[in-house]
Amino acid sequence: MANSGERAVEIRKPGVQATVQDYPGRSGMLRQGFFPSGAMDNVAMRAANLLVGNPQAAAGIEVTLGGFELRLDADATVAVCGARAEVTLDGQPLPIWVSRPAAAGTMLAIGVSPGPGFRQYVALSGGVDVPELFGSRATYTMGGLGGFQGRPLAPGDRLPLGAPSGDERARSFRESARPAYGREWRIEVMRGPQATPDFLTEADMAAFFDRSWPVDRNSNRTGIRLESYQFAWARDSGGVAGGHPSNILDNPYPVGAVNLNGDLPVILGPDGPTAGGFVVAATVVHGALWKLGQLRPVGDRVRFREVTPDEATELDRELAARLTADSLDNV
Amino acid sequence: MTDRTIKALLPGVFYRRPSPDAEPYVTEGQQVRGGDTVAVVELMKSFHEVTAEESGVLQRFLVEDGDAVEAGQDVAVLGE
Repeated sequence: MANSGERAVEIRKPGVQATVQDYPGRSGMLRQGFFPSGAMDNVAMRAANLLVGNPQAAAGIEVTLGGFELRLDADATVAVCGARAEVTLDGQPLPIWVSRPAAAGTMLAIGVSPGPGFRQYVALSGGVDVPELFGSRATYTMGGLGGFQGRPLAPGDRLPLGAPSGDERARSFRESARPAYGREWRIEVMRGPQATPDFLTEADMAAFFDRSWPVDRNSNRTGIRLESYQFAWARDSGGVAGGHPSNILDNPYPVGAVNLNGDLPVILGPDGPTAGGFVVAATVVHGALWKLGQLRPVGDRVRFREVTPDEATELDRELAARLTADSLDNV
Repeated sequence: MTDRTIKALLPGVFYRRPSPDAEPYVTEGQQVRGGDTVAVVELMKSFHEVTAEESGVLQRFLVEDGDAVEAGQDVAVLGE
């Protein structure tokens, strides 16, 4: 047993897709062709880390929908935050947004989430200690890089854990500090970089903000697909960039871009492409990016709300104010 | 006795056949065994199998090809 001294967990059931993720992911690498990866809902990941005494940046496990099981091979404090689901430790209920110390051998199970929400985040004291790649432990699913062997987790995978902080207690992330989940999401965006008047008409943007967009089944960490809509467009064609007015010469995409792929809006997620030749009508602001991780395909709907730079900054500030040890209560 | 059901474990879009031109996995009235695939659900650009947990006669489907289903939704009735 080469690893007998090492703290670890063993994956028993990964569910639809489970990956090692951290916060804020592999940032600063856009010009090298890397979107940041990292927790698709950074708020739930950071809260889970706070609950187990980890730095908010520590790596944990992003679970999609649920149907997940792991076994602790060492004593560890665990917390699960995110989409509503039945969570148990050796069959005993563990509320989500609550941490509990557990002994080696304990089985952690997350049931299939009935919603609202779509992803859960498992934090373990000490954090998941896979090697860093370009400054992050996040898994980049499209590139096959980072995380655990560059791939989603499979049964039998053993994830090493780092050294715990020692500040391990049963605690609850205060309800008033928890984000609100629903089936109808309001997502804050800023217009552009390619919107009115050069690329889309005022009527197009009014429709963009008025519509309740359904989340398509084929949404994942790369992008959230919405539904085709016949925009009027400000131009007849993309000119030298292509026949469709959504075409532009290839340019960099921002994280959270609402990309119009022809007439199909796609919100670019944390594993999305860094560049391409479609207009970006609006961009999700930093303080609202977490919502992308909780959009549930088939059923959830999205409305975009335009905010000013000041409002965007304020959203971010509010979020940071809630994500502190002051939001933890001993239980 | 009450009929048993087969459930979709994931939300997504329901299909009774592996590809548009293929035969359905099972037809109504057919005997299935535990573990048999009876349909697929499309989610996140992947197809996830819907399997019968136990043996029985698949009496009827409760959803149509191409319908949206929720996690845990009954998709077929299994009888003796």
